Amino acid sequence: MEIRRDELTKHISGTGDFIKIDQSKCNGCGLCARICIVNLWGIKNNVAFIREDYKEKCLECGSCYQVCEPSAIDFSYPAGGTGVVYEQG
Amino acid sequence: MNTYDIIIVGGGPGGSMAAKTAAELGLKTIFFERGRKPGEKNSSGCGLGPRMWKEFPGMMKDLTPEKCPSMRAGTAARCYFVNKEDKVAGYVMSRPTESVSYEPAKSWITMNCYRSEFDPWIADFATKAGAELKNSTLVVNLLKENGKICGVVDEHGEKYKASIVIGADGAISMVAKQSGLRTKWSQDQITVCPQYDFQAPPEKIDDIMGDETLAVWWGSTFPASYQVFFHDGFHQGLGNWLTKWDKNPLFYLNKVINLKYYQRLLRILEAKPRELQSHLLPWLQYPYNTHTDGVILIGDAGGFPCPLEAEGIYPAMVSGKIAAEVAADAITFDDVSKNGLSKFDEIWQTTSLGDDFEAGEELYNIWRAIPFSPKETMTWFIPMLMEALGGIYDWSQPHPNRIRQIAAKIKSYMPQALPFMMKYVFPLVAKIFEDDLDKMMDPQKLMTALPKVMEMLPKKKKRRRGT
Ligand SMILES: Cc1cc2nc3c(=O)[nH]c(=O)nc-3n(C[C@H](O)[C@H](O)[C@H](O)COP(=O)(O)OP(=O)(O)OC[C@H]3O[C@@H](n4cnc5c(N)ncnc54)[C@H](O)[C@@H]3O)c2cc1C
Ligand code: SF4
Ligand code: SF4
Repeated sequence: MEIRRDELTKHISGTGDFIKIDQSKCNGCGLCARICIVNLWGIKNNVAFIREDYKEKCLECGSCYQVCEPSAIDFSYPAGGTGVVYEQG
Repeated sequence: MNTYDIIIVGGGPGGSMAAKTAAELGLKTIFFERGRKPGEKNSSGCGLGPRMWKEFPGMMKDLTPEKCPSMRAGTAARCYFVNKEDKVAGYVMSRPTESVSYEPAKSWITMNCYRSEFDPWIADFATKAGAELKNSTLVVNLLKENGKICGVVDEHGEKYKASIVIGADGAISMVAKQSGLRTKWSQDQITVCPQYDFQAPPEKIDDIMGDETLAVWWGSTFPASYQVFFHDGFHQGLGNWLTKWDKNPLFYLNKVINLKYYQRLLRILEAKPRELQSHLLPWLQYPYNTHTDGVILIGDAGGFPCPLEAEGIYPAMVSGKIAAEVAADAITFDDVSKNGLSKFDEIWQTTSLGDDFEAGEELYNIWRAIPFSPKETMTWFIPMLMEALGGIYDWSQPHPNRIRQIAAKIKSYMPQALPFMMKYVFPLVAKIFEDDLDKMMDPQKLMTALPKVMEMLPKKKKRRRGT
């Protein structure tokens, strides 16, 4: 069975930015990219970047923030009433 | 300025239980939820154990299929054992055993329901008791005056004052961070759990699964994966500590989904993937730094999921109730200092939560070392177990021969199994039965006794009749 990941999440728009990366603190370890199950992180020239459309895709699990040892990732939740919705959580 | 007696950040089971208790004790109570309604941000197994009914009988009898249509309870659980070739090497299905005496634990092992139904259901108790629920509102900071915490600030800059703030804001707790109790979990105190929800016709689930309510897929190439059945669907998820992932967590979850056996199950259940979720779940040896001046952390924010299998809803509710009671007393006696709130720890430690954490370190260690170390442990554990359970199904040999072969094979796993038992099993047994087993625990004695046991396993075939 092929599972189409994109069709399995639902989001309410209007989140505003809620994940920020301080590239000067990033050591390029790549753990954020490894842990994110919807693949929103990439590494370029040894520093992490988050995909531009993350606000429509992020599951707000906070794993990227939690796993980043040098605390290069700043995470707060999206604006109240927006972002991911789990109907069968 | 909005003034309250108590502010609770988070509308999960912990926050709602705290809000309900506080309101019933006459406190002016508000609780905040960032979702449009409680539950829509949460993902869980979500299996509720009979102890919820034991502890909160009045509430739980109100949990009915009318209020919570996803509900499904069952009496049986299944363990699948998957070997390193990703084949289901065997499974064991079990029902409550003869030592189970408590009703309803005899009749069902878990009641499962979706959080999108359960969380609003429990929040209703709080609002009916008089607590104010503010949905769609993200709390972004603690309000401080002269360095003292005295309330919260929401995303719009609105301030809310109260002498006590309860952090019920889950695994990534703003309250824990802003109060200085904890910046972040260390990586071996927290797990991430990706999970699929599959939709399936209720009658298919009933026909095929019968009264099974959950299953655990013990893997040799993936961390243990749980399956929980609801009225018209089921979850398949897995988790591991953040230190343990060498690949993307979804890679491992997809391994389960792609097992031949699993694919067959999906086909006969007519199951279709419906939702993908990911959530953090704190899982530690013992809760720490649970309170400070004017602040108490409960549930996931406080690190309360149980140390054996991270059941977290019951601990969130119990810790929420205790926190509200301690807060009410602290307000009455006008002492919300860290010292005054230390009653919180004193009390939860005397409840069933405290009992669960009594062997917290040992439970955490053994669990972490078995299903969550698939390559290190399950690669020998599963074939060893299956040798014992299924080795006899070989009719190519005379039976005594076969038994000797099985014994020899089991013996060949001992170099891995014995150190494992010494490191994880004996400490747990000794802790649970306290000093009775202290003597047995002496490693020197063990080392002299064990080789003797090993020798008892037959090496050579002894002839019964003359040659
Ligand atoms: C995949 C998975 C499976 C699980 N399976 C089970 C199971 O079968 N049985 C079981 O008992 N437990 C299970 N657990 C554990 C259980 O889900 C948690 O322990 C439980 O939800 C903790 O309750 P809580 O109230 O402390 O926190 P949460 O349920 O996380 O609630 C916190 C609430 O606060 C809100 N919030 C957070 N920050 C803010 C903020 N700043 N402002 C406003 N609102 C905020 C969130 O939206 C959320 O609703 C599982 C967990 C996971 C991840
Ligand atoms: S985890 Fe942190 S340090 Fe590592 S690559 Fe990502 S942002 Fe950089
Ligand atoms: S919060 Fe979770 S889903 Fe969102 S970017 Fe981070 S790891 Fe990915």
